[in-house]
Amino acid sequence: MRRVLVFKHSLERSAMSAFIRSGLGLAVAALVLAVQPAAAQERTLVVSAFGVSQDLMRKDLYAPFEARCKCKIVVNVGNSADRLAKLEARKGNPEVDVAVLADFAAMEAAQKDLIEPIDVSKLKNYSKLHEVAKNPIGNHMGVGYTYFATSIIYRSDKVKINSWADLTQPALKGRLALPNITTTQGPTMLLMMDKAFGGTTPNFATGINKVSEMKGGVVTFYERSAQLVQLFQQDEIYAAVAGRFNWPLIKKLNLPLAWATPKEGVTGGINVLVVTKGSKNKDLAYAFIDEWLSTEAQTRLAMDLVDSPANKEVKLPREVADVLTYGNDTVKALNLIPPTQVLLHRKAWVDGWNAKVAR
Amino acid sequence: MFDNRRIGMALAVPAVLFIALAFLVPVAVLLSGSVATADGWGLGRFTEFFADSLYREVVWRTIRLGALVTLTCAALGYVAALAIVQAGPTWKGRFVGLIVLPLMISPVARTYAWIVILGRTGMANQLITGLGLSAEPLRLLFTETAVFIGLVQLFLPLMVLSLVSALENLPADVVPAARVLGAGWMPVFFRVILPLTREGLVTGGTLVFTGAITAYITPAVLGGSKVLMLETLLYQRVSVSNDFVSASVIAVILIAMGVAAHTLLKRAAKARAR
Repeated sequence: MRRVLVFKHSLERSAMSAFIRSGLGLAVAALVLAVQPAAAQERTLVVSAFGVSQDLMRKDLYAPFEARCKCKIVVNVGNSADRLAKLEARKGNPEVDVAVLADFAAMEAAQKDLIEPIDVSKLKNYSKLHEVAKNPIGNHMGVGYTYFATSIIYRSDKVKINSWADLTQPALKGRLALPNITTTQGPTMLLMMDKAFGGTTPNFATGINKVSEMKGGVVTFYERSAQLVQLFQQDEIYAAVAGRFNWPLIKKLNLPLAWATPKEGVTGGINVLVVTKGSKNKDLAYAFIDEWLSTEAQTRLAMDLVDSPANKEVKLPREVADVLTYGNDTVKALNLIPPTQVLLHRKAWVDGWNAKVAR
Repeated sequence: MFDNRRIGMALAVPAVLFIALAFLVPVAVLLSGSVATADGWGLGRFTEFFADSLYREVVWRTIRLGALVTLTCAALGYVAALAIVQAGPTWKGRFVGLIVLPLMISPVARTYAWIVILGRTGMANQLITGLGLSAEPLRLLFTETAVFIGLVQLFLPLMVLSLVSALENLPADVVPAARVLGAGWMPVFFRVILPLTREGLVTGGTLVFTGAITAYITPAVLGGSKVLMLETLLYQRVSVSNDFVSASVIAVILIAMGVAAHTLLKRAAKARAR
């Protein structure tokens, strides 16, 4: 306290006012700079995207596109929920031109009338897509640009996994990590548990009941899949339900780990590109989507392990293909939850989960 | 030309404006959502919330853990703060530096360190099995105990710093005077030191309690979804269900808990002041 007083007195009054004046000067300069248009003739395309791998996205996708279109790409990042809320806040006068969303979030955007159908005849690369990616949310409201598989990663020296039902084996009691309902993987795991135990209802009641019977033996219902590496490393778990994008990192652990191919199949998810309703840069938006679906861009993004390709012409070397979700058969075999079902039942899954599993 | 007060006011304007626009207005909008109902205003959303036994359990766990963490930090904090105040000026500076050091490390990193310590093959379990306290490693991670330990470690520095500054303002002769008059150490602490440092305890207690009930990373990582707390539930409501209304109800409950804790602590301090 005393030191502060000494400091205050030692400050000359003239210095103080000079300090304030220069501060004001700086503020004025900042304001002037802020209202200057970025560049007179350059157009801007605003993209709303997931935050992951943005640096690689810039290198593999945005920069090459910017060089050709003589435009600038501005990216707004965030999770699906908060980007959806922002789209809704600007309904009718969107700031964003193109958005990247999980299929069910895109479906929600369509229901809320925030996006418009894509005229696929304008996309040169559309015919190169896997069937699954061509019209994933119906009415051509979006095109798929990537998907991922979700299965079980397990310690092959400790357990055998041939079915989703094997997750309930005694050897995994106290040694199993499952995704929480809050993750993208959560609902897909319920879909497969439901399927393995003969569930028939879209609210996954059978799957939820099974998981709640197991919950005492589940080490954790994870929120962030990044945790899994550590849990395997510390011998905390022998198996986990996880997305294919976790596999490259977990595989590096030098443990006898395997990616399961259960008899009921694997599950997964698909991400889509959508155009906002009322976008003022529709021509750029279409050009950008076409670029993203092109064999070149999809190959670059796959080689950097950013996204698995939805373009079937992409050819990948063995070691890259092995860690991604790649190839026609793989893609065809994915058990995907229809997005309509997600929208209708997501609240019921969360409530059912909270009532039975979370307590 | 300028007098000091005017300068102060002028300097405060940008910050005040920023906080008003960037914080107070959005928060007011969010909180108003919790009392808006289909036909005007009401507390219907709160009764709905408390009707659900899961939510009641989460609220109770949040209060219980918050209170436990606060009490533990107060007990450990007094011991540490007394030791620091007793030490000479050189050592005092060093100790305070050591206390502040963890505050400079990201809570994420600190929390992940606990995963390593509390894990099946971690230090804590090696100690337990090594001492023969248990044949099998114990499950410590993803339990309330882990959340409790993590939160205590996270907020203890705040309590210690509050108590150190309170103890420094303690007149130097009150403790010796009480001792001369024949008081044992216990009465000295409870009847001299505690009443005279209660302001620091209120400050520290409020900081620790509100911090503990609103911490997100620690309960999420060390407790996970098996030890749901209000903050983790809030996150779930926003990012999964896109349900901002429930989220605003939870936010209001958290704010109310913080305010209530502060009021209770202040009351208790006043009652002791007689």
